[in-house]
Amino acid sequence: MIFEWIRFALCALCLITALVCFTAAVLGANRFGFIMNRVHAGGVGDTLGLFLVALSIILGDGFHMGELKLCFIIIFMWFTSPVSSHVLIQVEYFTNPHLYEHVKREDREALTEEDQ
Amino acid sequence: MSVENAYRILFLGALIWFSFLLLITLIRAIIGPRVTDRILSINMICTMVISCTCILAYFLDEDYLFDVALLYALLSFITVLILSATYIPKNPTRRKFAPQKDPVVSTAADSRLEDGKEGAEE
Repeated sequence: MIFEWIRFALCALCLITALVCFTAAVLGANRFGFIMNRVHAGGVGDTLGLFLVALSIILGDGFHMGELKLCFIIIFMWFTSPVSSHVLIQVEYFTNPHLYEHVKREDREALTEEDQ
Repeated sequence: MSVENAYRILFLGALIWFSFLLLITLIRAIIGPRVTDRILSINMICTMVISCTCILAYFLDEDYLFDVALLYALLSFITVLILSATYIPKNPTRRKFAPQKDPVVSTAADSRLEDGKEGAEE
């Protein structure tokens, strides 16, 4: 019986940490002022949050055929989430005319001289 | 309290908290000033729905919901890629940092961006 409760405690710990990750992702996507910070915050939920949810389910249920599918989901998301973030930043890079305003002043001057 | 009851309360609470986060992200997708904010919000919503589906698969003891979650992950990735491909030019080059009035690369989607641009004037 005590082992069941220990397993439950581990499962609860993973799930609560996942919820903290997702909450941080949502807060970051709402509160950060620059798009690259927002995309980074969103990526936290995509990778670590989903992994911890899967880990809590595996701890709670044991490892069966369904949990193998869950592992496939995790592997797939770990490959695709960085690609999504990269593509999103590319969109911002090519469409935002005010992107250079977020570059540091001396760097911006050097880049401007180089371009002119 | 039995262990099964404790698991039930834990996963139900997680689902309720997820619904709260989904609502906030949906509001962000609606008000997001630029197109990237909206795509990012859609991506996050998809991730949270995948998590909710996985939790439901365990909660209801239905293994086929994991397949639904896997398909949802595929759809989420394709959504972001195709929406982004609308805005990325065919032959991308390094962007110039010199202050310019117009966007460096002019795509067909630029006119649609004009509505939600923050601080459009230089």
